[in-house]
This record gives sequence, structure tokens and C-alpha cells, in this order.
Amino acid sequence: MMNNVRAVVRREYLQRVRSKWFIFATVVAPLLMMGMVLLPIYFANRNAGAEQRLVLVDATGVLGEGLEFRLEDAGYEVEPRVWRSGLVEELLRDTLSGSFRSFMVVDEETLASGRALLYATSRPSVIRGVALRQAVVQTVLEHELEGRSADVGALLRGGDLDVRVPGRSDAGSREASFMAGFVGAFILYMVILLYAVAVMRSTLEEKTSRIAEVIVSAMPPWHLMLGKILGVGAVGLTQLLVWVVVGVLVSSAGLPAVVAAGSDGVSLEAISAALPSMQVVAFFLACFLLGYFIFAGLYAAVGAICNSDEEAQHAQLPVTILIIVPMILLGPTIENPHEPLFQALSLVPFFSPVLMFARVAGGAAVWWEIALSVCLMAVTVVAVAWVAGRIYRVGMLMSGKRPTLPELWRWVREA
Amino acid sequence: MNDSTPAIRLEGVTKRFGAHTAVEGFDLTVPRGSIYGLLGPNGSGKTTSIRMVMGILRPDEGRVHLFDEDPDGVRGRRVGYLPEERGVYQKMSVVDLLTFLAEIRGVRRDEGRRRARSWLDRMGLDAWGAKKVQDLSKGMQQKVQFIGTVIHEPELLVLDEPFSGLDPINQDVLEEIVREFHRKGATILFSTHLMDQAERMCERVCLISRSRKVLDGDLRELKAAERKGVVEIEFDGVDGWLAGDGVAAVDPIEGGVRVRLAEGVDHQKLLRRAVDSGATVYRFDLVEPRLHEIFVRHVGVEAAEGAGVPRGYASTLTTGGAA
Repeated sequence: MMNNVRAVVRREYLQRVRSKWFIFATVVAPLLMMGMVLLPIYFANRNAGAEQRLVLVDATGVLGEGLEFRLEDAGYEVEPRVWRSGLVEELLRDTLSGSFRSFMVVDEETLASGRALLYATSRPSVIRGVALRQAVVQTVLEHELEGRSADVGALLRGGDLDVRVPGRSDAGSREASFMAGFVGAFILYMVILLYAVAVMRSTLEEKTSRIAEVIVSAMPPWHLMLGKILGVGAVGLTQLLVWVVVGVLVSSAGLPAVVAAGSDGVSLEAISAALPSMQVVAFFLACFLLGYFIFAGLYAAVGAICNSDEEAQHAQLPVTILIIVPMILLGPTIENPHEPLFQALSLVPFFSPVLMFARVAGGAAVWWEIALSVCLMAVTVVAVAWVAGRIYRVGMLMSGKRPTLPELWRWVREA
Repeated sequence: MNDSTPAIRLEGVTKRFGAHTAVEGFDLTVPRGSIYGLLGPNGSGKTTSIRMVMGILRPDEGRVHLFDEDPDGVRGRRVGYLPEERGVYQKMSVVDLLTFLAEIRGVRRDEGRRRARSWLDRMGLDAWGAKKVQDLSKGMQQKVQFIGTVIHEPELLVLDEPFSGLDPINQDVLEEIVREFHRKGATILFSTHLMDQAERMCERVCLISRSRKVLDGDLRELKAAERKGVVEIEFDGVDGWLAGDGVAAVDPIEGGVRVRLAEGVDHQKLLRRAVDSGATVYRFDLVEPRLHEIFVRHVGVEAAEGAGVPRGYASTLTTGGAA
């Protein structure tokens, strides 16, 4: 019996994996996205190191030394000048004649508000502008706070909030992991929806092209549905695994290389703190599989009862609502992961892939919640397969009017 | 399992769609190794019957047996099915599609691929194997689907209107393949409204009309039994005697007319009438009826025309033809 299921799985899988769209979405798109993020950082950092000299005019008498040190740290070759009247005009002429390309003036205004003057033949890049500004502000603050033990660098990075909830083990859930929860939940939603709808389309195609009749004469409809769901799911899993592998490669090899190439751009610790742990990645894949099986079954049933794309557009609405609801609840759940209401909602099997994942990634779910949600999802997968299989069997070979809900119920009972 | 068990046996099969009864109390026994034609006008229940044989519809009453075994266990590997409404995966390559169709019926993949190529060669489609199905013309797609029906070398072929929509050359190609399977011992059940073809190919036929079986049996025996019904006459003189009682249809033939008598009419009566009217009769020949004549006789002119019998064959009384 399993031979024909395997044939269906292979067909669905190969047809999709070979498609140009899949190759683009799986390999090319993430690489492009990474490239779009990483290349500017890389080049900005590299060019920052190759920066030509910067003449620094200190009119305050107190900032010069600290600022020179910081600017050199940011990759500039600094040439300090002591301020005198007429110096700026002189330097302006030199700049225009091309002896050098930029000079910076710091004065009392800088001490008061952190504003410095940069004369340059061309505008600095945004990243270089930020680096220059940071150097100035850090130097000013350090000067003003001199003698105290404050860590100006840490303060400027926005500090840190170390949250501890008494009586809970999940201390220190950081903003970074909440971010991972949000992004991960969104990807889950997208991928589950994408592939579950693919099952519906494929079912619909078989029905409208009438090939269903040939295939169902060779195997029980249930095998066709199973093979289709497994095959399309394997495509989704392949895509996610490629993304995970690319992500791991980029974060373990690519990022440090990029960071190392620059001088003082991004801190590696900050990035790795934002990356999810292996356990979270594993739960992510589990959420995809279970959520996908639930929704693929539902969408397969929708495809089986429809006769055209337009009909399917309408008929899929109830199922689509089931998958959109957790997306609406995602924000509030991430904000209040310990709220009993959201704890309860994240255990609803249709919502778990999105909501429970967000709570797990945020470190807000305890082990029994995770275990319970996995069990509930697994039970739902079986229940959906049972009901959908019955609807599929009748619907696949039926044409004409779409069944009403009472009719559907009869199919499920009688099949 | 012995060879005398029929390939298909339907017992009192009934199927209703709402208030409409599509097939009623249908019994059919298709012996092994036979070519069986299922004939009937459009809407008479041919396709519904075939779909019940294939397990696509479940009968409301009655039972379906294939090789006297559980039909669900048999259909996959031993039966090849060509549905009336043709369907293929448009986006697959031709060879992949055929390999897939072979594989879901238990043929190993490499073997399925080999057979696909050899069939494509035979059908003159060898250059199209790597092309997507959607790039093929409709006739080619139909040939590909036919290959898909027989690629697992089934013992039983169930074909719903297999020749419709094909040009005569390709009809002959497919007909020859069906015969070949028959020679190898396969059983063939096919529905058609092309009487000539059924007459050429079938050993046995079953006529259905208005959801019920009208006639069923060996084609030669049927013809012999109906022999009294058709007369070919060559004559000279008046032809008014042709327009009397008991004559269902008159068709002109070379040198005379072919007369179909109404049910139960003695041909002697017609001969007497001809002689009495003063016509000179040269030839009065009881001939074997054509299948369409048997068909018309049993289901009526309108139903027969619905089945695609050319109008001329089933014409009501016409006079003339005498030279």
C-alpha cells in the first residue's frame, strides 16, 4: 500500500522542488536578503578603515585627546590642530584645493549639545556619520562624567534591563529573544499558510483536471491525500532546513568575518544574543510540522469540496481565519506572555504554532506547557486527518454544487 | 480462482442521484478474455455504470465483483481505467507522468520509465517524452493518457468512450492496441456510441437505454436471433407497397432497398404485398441486421439518434430506391 503513497510523495516533492520559484525562494531570496543587510555593513566597515586622514580642530582644549583616540579607533587617521583664529578659513581653502578631504571642528557648542562641525568634500555615509557622532558624544560625556565610574559605552548602547520574576525559573528573558519570537512566529505563519494552501491548490487541480478519477481508481483517496500532504510538507521542511543551515552558516562564519573586517562596528556578542538557541530552532521545526499537518488537512478538505479557484477563495475563509487569529494575538501575547488568557490561547492547537512558539522563543513558557501544546497539536493532527480524509474521499469525485455544512457533516458520518 | 470466474459481475446495481435514477437493477457479466461493448444513448447510464465498476461511485443497491474478489483490492494493479473526462497533470513531463501512473499501480519506477519510453516510441511520440504535457496537442495528450491506462499491463481494461475525439488514424492505432491486449488474454469493457466500431470489435454487447439494460449477449447470436427483422429487396415497378403496415424503416441500397420490419412482423407478409401490388421482385433476402438496426429496433429512433446513429440509417419511412 505504501508504494503508491511514496509515488505521490515523490511526485509532489520533485515537481515543486524543481520549480524555479522554489529555488528562488529557498536559496536566492535569503542570500539576497543577507547580502542586502551584510554587504553595506561590510563595505562601510572596510572603507571606514581605509578612510583618508581627518583634520581635527579642537577649540575646547579638553576634547581633543579623547576624540582623537576614538576617531582613530573608528578607522580615521587623525591630524590634530590647535584652534586659532583664521584656522578654519585656512583649512577650508586647503580642503577646496584638495590637500585633504575633511576636517572636524569641536567647540563650546559641542560640549553643550554634542554638535560638532564637519567640513567635507562629500557627505559621509550614514554609518560613518553615526560613527563620527558616537565618537563625539562619547568623548563629551566622558569628559563631563570624568572621575565617576560610569561606563559611558554601556549607557550609550541604551543600558540593559535584567528582568527577574520571583518564583519563576525563566529569569533574564531578553528583548532580543522576544524579537526572535516575533520573527519566528511570523515565518511560521507564512510558511504554514503557504504550503497548506499549496495542498489545497494541488487538490483542486487534480479535481478540476479530472485526473483524480484515474488516481483514485488506483488507490484509496486517503492515500492520495496523505501522499500529497507529506510531499508538500517535505518541500516546506526542505525550505526551512535550507534557511536554518544558511542562517547557522552566516551566524557562525559569515557574521564574525564581517564584524572582524570592520574595526568597531557591530559587537558580535550582541548579534549572537539575538540568535535563537538550538532548542528554540527544534521547537520551531516541530511547530511547522504539526501546524502544517493541521492546516494542510483542513485546506485539502476545502480543495476537495470546491470546483473552481473562485469557489475555493470563499470556502477557505473559515480556515484562513483560524490561522490569522493567532497573528492578531501575537503582539499582545509577546507583550504579556504570562497573562493566563494568552497562556490558555497559546494552548489552542490551531493557535499553538504561532503563539506557543512566540512564548517559547521569548523564554516565557514552562516545560509542561510546551509538552501539552505538542500533545494537543498531535491529537488535532489525527482528528483533522480523520475528518478531512472523509470529506476528501467524497468530495474528490464529486462535481456540482458545493456541499453545505449539514451535508459535509453527513459525509463525515457516513463515509 | 479459476478462469471461469467472470472478470466483472454486476448484480442488481442501482444508482440514484436525488430524484433521478441513473442506473436501475443492472446485471452484467463480463467473461474473462472477452471484448464487451457497452452501448447506449447519451444519458442512458453508461458512464455511471462504468464508474461503479471502478469504485468511483458506490451503488445504492446491488453489488460489484471484479474477478470475484474484493474490488478495492483488485482495481489498482489489475485494472486499467480510461475515464470519459480526460485528465492529466499538465505541468509534468510526459515520461514522468507515465512513470507515475505506472508506479501507483505497482510497477517499479525504472521499469515504468522503460515502458513509458517504449510506448511513446510505438505511438510516434518519442520526441515528446521530455516535454511537458501541456505542450502537447489534445490528440497527443489523449494518446498519452491511453498509454497511462495500459502501462501496467492490466488484465482488465475499462474504457469509457476510448475513441471519441480521435482522428481515424489514431482510432485505428488504439483499436489495434486494444485487440492486442485481447489477444494476450485481457478482458476489455468499453462504452461507445460508435456502432460501426462496436460491431467491428465486440464479441459481446450490452445495450442500455433510459437507465435499464435492453439487450445483452453474444453479438453473433444477437444478430442471428434478429435475422428475420431485416430484408434486402431488389425489385422493379411500383413501390407503394413499401409504405404499408409493419415496415419500420426503408433505406436505399445499391439496386434496391433495405427494409427494417417492425417488431413481430412476418417478412412473408411484405413479400406477398409486393407481389400483389404488381412489382417484379428480383431478390428478397433476409440479411443479418447491423448493430445499429438492432439498437434502433430496441430503443426507438429518437433514443438511437441521441446515441449518434446517423439520421439516414434510422430514417422513418421513405419511398424510392427502385431503379
